[in-house]
Amino acid sequence: MSLVQLYIPMEVAQPTVTRLGEQGQLQFRDLNPKVNAFQRAFVGEVRRLDEMERKLRFLAAQTEKAEIPVRPVPEHGDLLSRPRTTQQMDELESAINAHEARVLQLNNSHEALLRRSLELTEMKHVLHETASFFSAAEGRGEDLRRASSAGAGTGVNDSLLQSHYHMEEGGGPASGPATSSLTLGFVAGVIGRSKVPTLERVLWRALRGNLYLNYADIPESVIDPSTDEVVDKSVFVVFAHGREILAKSRKLAESLGATLYPVDGDVAARRESALAVVSRLEDLNAVLYNTNRTRKAELASVAEHLAVWLTIVRKEKAVYHTMNLFNYDRNRKCLIAEAWCPTLDIPNVQGILRSSSSPGFEEGTNKFTAGFQGIIDAYGVAKYGEVNPGLFTVITFPFLFAVMFGDIGHGILMASAAGYLCWKEKGLAKFDGGEIFDMMFGGRYIILLMGLFSIYTGAIYNDIFSQSMHIFHSGWEYRDVQANQTTSAHQVGIYPFGLDPAWHGTENMLIFSNSYKMKMAVLFGVAQMTFGICLQLWNFTHFKKRISILAEFVPQMIFMQAIFGYLCVTILYKWSVDWSTTDAAAPNLLNMLIFMFLSPGNVSEPLYAGQSLVQQILLLVAFICIPWMLLMKPLILKREHAAKVEAASHSRDSLDSAGPTDPNTSSASSHEEDPAAGVIASAGEGGEFNFGDIMIYQIIHTIEFCLGCISNTASYLRLWALSLAHAQLSAVLWDMTLASCFAMSPSAMPVGLVIGFAAWFIMTISVMLIMEGLSAFLHALRLHWMEFDNKFYEGSGKAFMPFAFRTILDDNAEE
Amino acid sequence: MSLFPVFLLGLICLGLCLLAYMFSPKGSDQTLWRSSLIITFICLYSMWAITYMAQLNPLIAPRRSDLRPEHFSGGHH
Repeated sequence: MSLVQLYIPMEVAQPTVTRLGEQGQLQFRDLNPKVNAFQRAFVGEVRRLDEMERKLRFLAAQTEKAEIPVRPVPEHGDLLSRPRTTQQMDELESAINAHEARVLQLNNSHEALLRRSLELTEMKHVLHETASFFSAAEGRGEDLRRASSAGAGTGVNDSLLQSHYHMEEGGGPASGPATSSLTLGFVAGVIGRSKVPTLERVLWRALRGNLYLNYADIPESVIDPSTDEVVDKSVFVVFAHGREILAKSRKLAESLGATLYPVDGDVAARRESALAVVSRLEDLNAVLYNTNRTRKAELASVAEHLAVWLTIVRKEKAVYHTMNLFNYDRNRKCLIAEAWCPTLDIPNVQGILRSSSSPGFEEGTNKFTAGFQGIIDAYGVAKYGEVNPGLFTVITFPFLFAVMFGDIGHGILMASAAGYLCWKEKGLAKFDGGEIFDMMFGGRYIILLMGLFSIYTGAIYNDIFSQSMHIFHSGWEYRDVQANQTTSAHQVGIYPFGLDPAWHGTENMLIFSNSYKMKMAVLFGVAQMTFGICLQLWNFTHFKKRISILAEFVPQMIFMQAIFGYLCVTILYKWSVDWSTTDAAAPNLLNMLIFMFLSPGNVSEPLYAGQSLVQQILLLVAFICIPWMLLMKPLILKREHAAKVEAASHSRDSLDSAGPTDPNTSSASSHEEDPAAGVIASAGEGGEFNFGDIMIYQIIHTIEFCLGCISNTASYLRLWALSLAHAQLSAVLWDMTLASCFAMSPSAMPVGLVIGFAAWFIMTISVMLIMEGLSAFLHALRLHWMEFDNKFYEGSGKAFMPFAFRTILDDNAEE
Repeated sequence: MSLFPVFLLGLICLGLCLLAYMFSPKGSDQTLWRSSLIITFICLYSMWAITYMAQLNPLIAPRRSDLRPEHFSGGHH
């Protein structure tokens, strides 16, 4: 990583930054962090582009509402990947403005027309419903008139007065005071169906029941143009008499959100206006249809370019945001930029700066390693200059996975699925198959390698869908076989590649494979951890921590090798000795290791001559390593610090003593020595030395390492456990499904086989590949994070975030 | 029945590692190629070697009781 400084002339700043953004290799530093966002140099441009983006978003929302498909961004657009001139941007802006204005205008007129049409529709319904009310009301009016003429013989005026009195006082309905001069006024209108009961109650209370409310539901529901919601509405007619009361009820209805329509009391006039309404409605619908069509055409023409425009505007905005980070040099009329850049990519950047028209370079990121690096970055991003475990994870991760997943058949299925994803990756990259698919797709190269390694480990385990393959001549032979009797095989050779198929299906197969896989797990574990400890060396030399090599790397290595390295050696030694020709029986290695700690110098089952002495020395060395790790580094640091402090006080003393004795030279010498004294003083203050902290850190580190050696080695036994579980599970699956079908009677076998095979295959995919695969994946992940990485990897770095259009556009797409 | 194949293949593996180191494709991915190929060879070799050595001097022999004598009568005796 290098810090580069760019001097860009003002006139070409924008195209240059555009090219750098296309390339995406520089992470620009903010050179004016104190200036707030509104006072930066290119605020005007950013604001203008913001406005354009807002308009484009508005247009995008409109096209989406109109359900017009937006044409996706083409691979090589004319304006997309080249820098844009100011004139092009101006043209683009005016085009966007024109489109937006036109769409807005069309929207407005469309809305107005829609409102008008809604009113007319409601009017139509009101007229229709009132007509039926009136015909009913007239009939009732006849009834009333008849009743009043029959019941009220005397004092019509009195009773009228009385009735007024009653109305004001009691609020009960006027009882039969109607006369032939009955003039009922009415208010007609439309109100939301849910508000009808409220309206009824309010009117009833306000007018003290002195009204007759009738309502009917409008069968079709209407769309409110202002809110775009579907509303059910009802027509209501309030009959009341008296101008005051009518005005009151009109106000009440309006306050509840009802729309009132003037309806003539006369039947003929009503019929006439109904006809007029219908014809106007037809005209209006025709206009509305035309407006809608124009609007759709306009939006469709916008949709052609919308995605491209949006991309351009977002890129331009990012360019100006980046240019805001630069420093403006007034004298030289140029912008000064500082950026972090991968050292390998500096020639590329220089190439961009030199050439005025450069085609796109190859992608900087490697699609193959991206997935593996993701595994590591999930643990921690490498500190700059630190050894990156991602490099080794590329192979060790799939390999450890395969040790747990060893089966040729499952490996082939997995590798071919991942191979398909890799083969079709261009097409599938755009396919949106949900989160799980994306995860699989992102890790396609990991899965491919996992599958390939599983094929190899499967060949070593001699497992193909839990069956064995007899390729070479077996190293075992059965002699003197008698029916129904247990027979042991005789060794006649060694199977040259992988596990001997003679073991398949034998009674003591598990005993053998347990011992073999357990030892293999320990061997691989110790090897990987030793590799991890060795990687510390690179870190220490890079960060110039010479003390740490001697005080940490060496004792750690000795401790590890004295105990677990020794265990590995004994494992290999025990395998290479032919125990049938020796006098003693083969010793148990686990017991040997335990008794090496519990009773040093006491070997019950000797493995080799002089074992007791070797083990005592190893144990002693391992124990010496503990205080070595614990004390050496803090003590050295303390001594260095003491020396520094002493040197500082010495130089001060000499200054003090030199000052007063020789006044002539003091002025000259103070010029030279003052800065030096200042440096020492500042170093002493800056690097606050706290012995306690360092000691505590070292104690924790030492305990963690020593206990970690033991627990981590044990943790690698998961390689054994999981590979055993995988083999057993797949054997059980075979026995339960296909093997039981082979035992069927010949007539039932075809049907049984079809069903059995289907069950076996589905279970193989779902249980063996997906579930078991996930479990082995997680265990391999854990082994890398906890057991391998913690030996050398701090992962306390920050991710490099270069200025690249790719990431900016992706972020926008996700929002 | 000796360790000879283990050493022989070990040498071959070492040779392959050297070849991988020398002839990895040049360019920005050279380190990746080198480390991946070398680690791959070491992993594959060590797994084979462990399996081979585990069967070199076995302490137990395969044992089964479901053998049919008629299969073996015409064979080796």
